[in-house]
Amino acid sequence: MAVTRLPDYVVRRPSGFYRSTNPGTKLAIAALEVLAAFLLPGWIGPAVVLTAVLATAAVARRLRGLATFGLAASPIVGSILLVNLFLLPGASDPIARLGPLAPTWSGLWFGLQTIARLLAFSSAIALVYLTTAIDDLLADLSRRGLGRRAIFVVGAAVQMVPLTIERAGEILDAQRARGMDTEGHFWRRARGVLPLAGPVVFGALTEVEERTMALEARAFSAPGRKTLLRVPLNGRIDRVLFWAALLALVALVGVRLAGRLG
Amino acid sequence: MTASGSPARGSTRRVPPPPAPSIEFEAVSFAYPDGTRALADVSLRIEPGEMLAIVGQNGSGKSTLVRHLNGLLRPTGGRVLMDGTDIRPVHVAHLAARVGLAFQNPDRQLFAGHVSAEVEFGPRNLGIRGAELAERVALALAAVGLEGVAGANPYDLGYSRRKLLALASVLAMRTPVLILDEPTTGQDARGVARVQDVVARAAADGRTVIAISHDMRFVAECFRRVVVMRAGRVALDGLPSAVFAEAAWPELRAAYLEPPLPAVAGARLGLGATPTGSEFVAALAAGLRNR
Ligand SMILES: Nc1ncnc2c1ncn2[C@@H]1O[C@H](COP(=O)(O)OP(=O)(O)O)[C@@H](O)[C@H]1O
Ligand SMILES: [Mg+2]
Repeated sequence: MAVTRLPDYVVRRPSGFYRSTNPGTKLAIAALEVLAAFLLPGWIGPAVVLTAVLATAAVARRLRGLATFGLAASPIVGSILLVNLFLLPGASDPIARLGPLAPTWSGLWFGLQTIARLLAFSSAIALVYLTTAIDDLLADLSRRGLGRRAIFVVGAAVQMVPLTIERAGEILDAQRARGMDTEGHFWRRARGVLPLAGPVVFGALTEVEERTMALEARAFSAPGRKTLLRVPLNGRIDRVLFWAALLALVALVGVRLAGRLG
Repeated sequence: MTASGSPARGSTRRVPPPPAPSIEFEAVSFAYPDGTRALADVSLRIEPGEMLAIVGQNGSGKSTLVRHLNGLLRPTGGRVLMDGTDIRPVHVAHLAARVGLAFQNPDRQLFAGHVSAEVEFGPRNLGIRGAELAERVALALAAVGLEGVAGANPYDLGYSRRKLLALASVLAMRTPVLILDEPTTGQDARGVARVQDVVARAAADGRTVIAISHDMRFVAECFRRVVVMRAGRVALDGLPSAVFAEAAWPELRAAYLEPPLPAVAGARLGLGATPTGSEFVAALAAGLRNR
């Protein structure tokens, strides 16, 4: 006779380096990295954070996912570089003169640094997404005593991103299946994609509304303590890392406020 | 509602689509980027003009399989051939002229501000303009019974009619291969009849029709061949009378499927394989006469 197995959503545990790290710990580390990317002076911030994130992603085998995030950010990255290269106010060290345009060295460096910060900041957050099941994150926040409403808002916001990306992808697929040309020129592609924003946004809103109703229907706001279906792992290392990250975060902000850095 | 039955609603001169290609899955495997192995070594040959139903539990890989036919997904192992040629290098926009796919969820397909613009979108992409475009739109809307709401906003229609609209928007492309992902889900009896009508007419035009469905009655009534998928593999493949025959029930139930009621009743009464209501009645009548 077959042994009755509990369904995956109850017993499936994340496994593997960093993927099995406690979600709250990962969130704390990401928060530290985000702050460090902006608060540490010059190249140090982005260099330290990017190295840390890339190394973690590599060992956790999530580099490919991170590369996709990077690719998605490339239009923004490109425009930041161009704007700084040509338009950085006060820059007076031209690399060359191209008619009315004068790209500057300081513009180039500032642009590259801004991009590095931006990538460090966004990849730190992306890594949490790539290594954590949202349910685990929410369960962990709840275990840490965050209020239900707060968790719902966090959850809805956090979940909206991947769900919206997923929905946008499928809506685009459906139009490709009906012969929409997505190869061709950039403007042609943009013209084709723009009208799809309607159903993407509309769908996101309906989904949040439905989620709210479904939660209420399951006594989401009922008084009393809730029992968690799945309790994320939280071992000694997770707890140490969590507090270390928080401490470092507070220290960083404190030092920065005291004006000793940068 | 029968296969060759009633004359097409509102159609005067039906231009048959170009001849359907033969389709072959050659040991196709597919894993999603997150590592989910959705297809494992699927080999399947589909002849031009076949009517094929794909059934199986949620997550068994049905949608993944059909998305390989228009290039939305490319196999991670094996090949997909059309008329003997690997379609890997062919762009989705190109394949769309040959393979029409109506998605499971209409809300992830519809985007235009009104119904007729939605139906125009596909054929327009194929370069159809002017009188022919207008005719295609009108016929496609008539085929699903939406001719009265051409000017409405798709979001003002109910779910079942949005689903029919999504179907019409693919029909208007007149592709030689027509794929419907769960077309009867959310339809009442009249909606199901419309879908059956669309399937029968497409088949009468010589098009290849592939439908994914959980509705065993619809499958048994409308299709000549049934493929049962289970965990990314083809578990059963044959005539409805064979796939729904008593000998195959254990395999069906392993895929969490129930044989259609006439098949169960026929087997109970010792009438043999009777996957459809009419076959059951015929067998029963013959049995009573011979008594
Ligand atoms: N975009 C995706 N990313 C990752 N896994 C997916 C994706 N889409 C489907 N899957 C997984 O692939 C398997 C097959 O899915 P699917 O083809 O949609 O099944 P069906 O249509 O038979 O319900 C399932 O395990 C599903 O969870
Ligand atoms: Mg499906």
